[in-house]
Amino acid sequence: MNLLARLQNEGVLTLDSSQQQAIAAHHTSLLASYVRDFAIDPTRRARRLSLGMRVASLLGALALAASVFFLFYQFWGYFPEVAQVSILITAALATCGLTNWLQQRDTTGYFSKLAALVAFTCFVLNLAMIGSLLNVAPTDKALLPWAALALLFAYSGDQRLLLVTGILCLIGFVAARVGTWGGIYWLHVGERPENFFPAAALLLALAAVGWHQPYPGFAATYRVFGLLTAFVPMLVLGHWGYGSYLDLPPDLIEGGYQVLGFITSGLAVYFGVRRDWPETVNTGTTFFIIFLYTKFFDWWWEVMPKYLFFLVLGLIALLVLLVLKRLRRSPGQATR
Amino acid sequence: MNVLGQQRWLLTGLGVIVLTNAIVLSGAALNRIGEPESRLLLSERELALPYAGGSRRANSGLALRLEWRVALDGDSPHNIAYARYERQPDWLDEKRMSDLGFDTRKGAATAEARQAFLRQLSRPALIVFELAGPAWQRALQQARDNADRHAAAAAANRGNREFAEGAKAARAFVVQEEAEHTRLFAIDAGSDAATLRQRYPERNRFLILRGTVRPAERLRDGQWTLAGRLSEIAIEEIHVPYTQRAILDELSSTPQGKPHRPAPRYEVQLAVGQRLEPWIERIARLPDQPPPAGDIGSN
Repeated sequence: MNLLARLQNEGVLTLDSSQQQAIAAHHTSLLASYVRDFAIDPTRRARRLSLGMRVASLLGALALAASVFFLFYQFWGYFPEVAQVSILITAALATCGLTNWLQQRDTTGYFSKLAALVAFTCFVLNLAMIGSLLNVAPTDKALLPWAALALLFAYSGDQRLLLVTGILCLIGFVAARVGTWGGIYWLHVGERPENFFPAAALLLALAAVGWHQPYPGFAATYRVFGLLTAFVPMLVLGHWGYGSYLDLPPDLIEGGYQVLGFITSGLAVYFGVRRDWPETVNTGTTFFIIFLYTKFFDWWWEVMPKYLFFLVLGLIALLVLLVLKRLRRSPGQATR
Repeated sequence: MNVLGQQRWLLTGLGVIVLTNAIVLSGAALNRIGEPESRLLLSERELALPYAGGSRRANSGLALRLEWRVALDGDSPHNIAYARYERQPDWLDEKRMSDLGFDTRKGAATAEARQAFLRQLSRPALIVFELAGPAWQRALQQARDNADRHAAAAAANRGNREFAEGAKAARAFVVQEEAEHTRLFAIDAGSDAATLRQRYPERNRFLILRGTVRPAERLRDGQWTLAGRLSEIAIEEIHVPYTQRAILDELSSTPQGKPHRPAPRYEVQLAVGQRLEPWIERIARLPDQPPPAGDIGSN
């Protein structure tokens, strides 16, 4: 409506009152249908409330999941094993069905998100507690069905919280498998941060496939977690060469990973700008600065006066801002 | 918006849950099919009740903690007490570590070589436990010899409080070794269950369980050697079946009148299946026994 008024004021378009009323009525009915079908926020006030509801929904989902978890532990010992197993499986199946039922009715997604997280918790409890009941050795293979169910909830209900949960399970599974193939016990996978690199590659590859197109933000989430899964191990290995698989002097390994960290975070910024992926630019920039600051800390913290050290950090941040500003204005960047 | 139809995804979700449970339950059933791989009669010494605490109140399930240890050379009081917590047995040497898949080619001659060995991570292994066998007898004899030495020292230094207390502690330790400490000793490790079972055929005395081994080093007589440490057992807490709980519930809710329990209060028949996963078959209450002769309460 604001655009229409502006066009009329500037003499670009002239409409009589009946035409103006028809357009206004059309817009009102269009907004009403969007509110009904997609639960959009038509006003600023509605947007603010939506944000509050999202936060409440997230906290509620986490609290409900914790409640289910402790409820099982509090009472499971009072039932015979057959009843325990039946309750655990039935709870997982029933909450899965409830989530599906809510997803078909709840256009806002707040309640279905709650249900999805509770259903996921029930399934985690299902496997973990049956494992305890039957004295089954803990295995990384449990992460795979957990990832599958979380991703299923995420795609069926457009739930990014469940997407992140599924991605974390997937990272754990791939890293544990890589470690196991190397002969080590899967629970010690974190002691060799390089085990996480194949998971990072997998997530970045998944971000590139087309099936996320109907899901806004999903490809970006894969990219962010793919980059985190690559940068965090690089950051760790850049200061703890002892944790590497490479049979080289730790100093050399640390130096190598520091250089790799700079190159890959720089590449992330470059590709993020080229492909118009703001989350990739932000993640790349953040880690580039972290790599830079940790290096400066190593070099100068002991030898420089503190005011000068922080002045250098501040100037570097300004320099990064200027470079990014120039990149943003660059006419050659893609406009996809 | 959704690529999957709602009906389709519901069926897929239910399918994931059902299929996963089917795999887990059939694996557990497979473990318990046929004659158990081993079946031992343990007591409270080897399968202890969980520690009382806040987490116990929030968890109504009950699992017994597998208590095990390794035999160590050396007979100083410090070594004897420490042996209960030490997980670096003498038999886990360079050769055994190499058999378990660790790279020992660089040897132990230099600090760099040992460092390269220690950098390797834990590997899964099958660990053999012996119940009340020669390893326990040796530990018992070590404790008795130690008590004899302390008693002789106290007799030679009559009136010296330090010697008297040392002798008293050593005597109390013998009582604990005889009646309280675990008799389950880790005596071997390998990667093939059939080979280990061939080496230790008595299924009611030798238990094979999954665990992990971590590289370690050992300094003895000024000489460094490569060694290993038994870092963990895959299943160290064993679920108590609902039908067997009553005895243990009664015991864990009864306040103990004495600071030390003098003797095991229950025995447990433990079976280990084809996948080396254990389960409790039976728990029986043992008759109350009179307090031991040694004054362990005042330790």
